[in-house]
Amino acid sequence: MKQKINSVIKAFLLFNLFAVVNTFGSEPQKAENFKLKDYNGKEFQLSDFKSSKATVIMFVATQCPVSNAYNERMAKLFADYKDKGITFLGINSNKQEDINEIKEHAKTNKLDFLILKDPNNIIADKFQASFTPEIYVLNGNLDVLYHGRIDDNRRESDVKEKDLRSALDEILAGKKVSSPETKAFGCTIKRVN
Amino acid sequence: MPQRYSFVILFLIISCITVFSQSNEKITVNTIDKAKLYKLIKERKGKILFLNVWATWCIPCREEFPAIVKLADDYKNVEFVGISADFPDEVESKIIPFLRSVKVNYKNFVSGFSGDEELINTLDEKWNGALPATFIYDLNGNKQTVLAGIHSYDEFKIQIQKILK
Repeated sequence: MKQKINSVIKAFLLFNLFAVVNTFGSEPQKAENFKLKDYNGKEFQLSDFKSSKATVIMFVATQCPVSNAYNERMAKLFADYKDKGITFLGINSNKQEDINEIKEHAKTNKLDFLILKDPNNIIADKFQASFTPEIYVLNGNLDVLYHGRIDDNRRESDVKEKDLRSALDEILAGKKVSSPETKAFGCTIKRVN
Repeated sequence: MPQRYSFVILFLIISCITVFSQSNEKITVNTIDKAKLYKLIKERKGKILFLNVWATWCIPCREEFPAIVKLADDYKNVEFVGISADFPDEVESKIIPFLRSVKVNYKNFVSGFSGDEELINTLDEKWNGALPATFIYDLNGNKQTVLAGIHSYDEFKIQIQKILK
């Protein structure tokens, strides 16, 4: 009995350790190629966009008030940078948000960039993405050039630092991203486990 | 017989007053900045600190709240404090109504930091800001535990007891 209790405690501690590492650990410096389907069932892979000057991966949600507060800003970013050789990929990893909901949400909010469904949050796990909206900007070699927030305020009227825009401008100018890592609060991605 | 009735009536009046006063108990939520947070962490006065960061828009934070309310009832030798990541102008419209709905029994602040990143880095440079998050400090104000994501009463209890030992 005592042994059983000990193994339960050990398993619990191990689980907690994993949770801490996942949210407090270092982020990957290089992404791996992946394949996902969009809400119309069409499959895409990250390597399809290799020739882009940069690929912006945005972990998004349909029900998160923070992600929704950024809908207009995401749509504007896409409109402003799509013709400059930047690819935008939304990824929805939330277990409770299905493709029909994602499709409807994108239509209502005029999110015209590709939005891919990440069943079982496998890609979110690979990126160690934990909240929405969380951004990763990659180059053609899949190196992570920028990771973090879209800007520094959930309220657009109070924004001081447009971090993602600044990073993209620096990348387009052939410069090194000066603030490659930023932080903000967001909604935790609802994972399958 | 009439004496028994008056006893029942008196009991009902006292119950009503108690319920009324509980539901109308004033909840205040002040802003907290970096200096106030450091002071809070360092001024332990014989109690360890259980610090939970949450927001009204964060569903797992809301789900986790009742467990912390129960812990605050059970551990009088622990100081429980919440910091809401909502905006200071949402105290009356969002924060207090939520705190009232969960019958909060511990002090809560709203972030008055200059931005999310300042609060995140003040609490832990390695934390990426995913909510909820809980930090437990020992009697000397040293951080002993960081718990990311939603946790249950029993999971919190294990961590508290480890530090109380």
